[in-house]
Amino acid sequence: MKQAKRLLEEVGIEPERVEMYNIGASDAPKFAAACDEMTQRARDLGPSPLKKVK
Amino acid sequence: MIVAERKPLEEIEEKVKGFKKLLVLGCGTCVSVCHAGGEKEVELLASQMRMASQMRGEGVEIIEATVQRQCDREYVEPIIEQARECDAVLSMACGAGVQFVADMLEPMTVLAALNTRFIGVNLAEGMWSEKCRACGNCLLSDYAGICPMTMCAKSLVNGPCGGYKDGKCETSKERDCAWIMIYNRLSKQGKLDAMKDISQDKDYSAQSHPARYTAEAYTKAEMSEDGE
Repeated sequence: MKQAKRLLEEVGIEPERVEMYNIGASDAPKFAAACDEMTQRARDLGPSPLKKVK
Repeated sequence: MIVAERKPLEEIEEKVKGFKKLLVLGCGTCVSVCHAGGEKEVELLASQMRMASQMRGEGVEIIEATVQRQCDREYVEPIIEQARECDAVLSMACGAGVQFVADMLEPMTVLAALNTRFIGVNLAEGMWSEKCRACGNCLLSDYAGICPMTMCAKSLVNGPCGGYKDGKCETSKERDCAWIMIYNRLSKQGKLDAMKDISQDKDYSAQSHPARYTAEAYTKAEMSEDGE
């Protein structure tokens, strides 16, 4: 994950856009919390730099 | 094996500026093992370059290929046609591979994506260390399998010098003194008397560059007129 973040950063994309969570198959609340966290993070960061450029 | 590391993306991007269609060419041998230029690294670099190109608003076309070895004609030949359809080739091989591909594709532009570091061994996951300087005149049998040419900061063949302290080299506290290592291993082997031998002057003639080696038994035989 550290490497994936580094590769994104090198290109100029915010490394926070990628994250890894270890969640058990039966752990729905943890999955939902991770989804909420990443959704909020994406909203805070705004559109991907790849989409901004035309 | 040959150990290399990838150049920073910024440096690579600077070199490929202006090319519209690029072949990112990986090498499936040494640099694949040290995670610098194998198939996976080709995919990663190509993805990064596509993203960077998109963010600059450019439409650079990037093609990926990996051959078993870029230093062998038979492995490079199959990608020549594909390469010639591009504006340039970005080779992820060691320096030998880059040059061999550049020779075979002349006059095409062939660029280097890696810095070739050394001939070495794998110490741990993701860690390599230099072991051999390819001096062409191997002394390892005389030094308990430890190369003073590589491991000694001064490449002394009659060490140690007076600069070691607590088994470390005067150049760095992190660096083991090669000659203390040689002494310790000879001691374990019960061959400490070998330390008393005075080594002959090192023959540096084998280090003229570019070095060349021909294995006579494997060269293509020329047929004589009577067919033998």
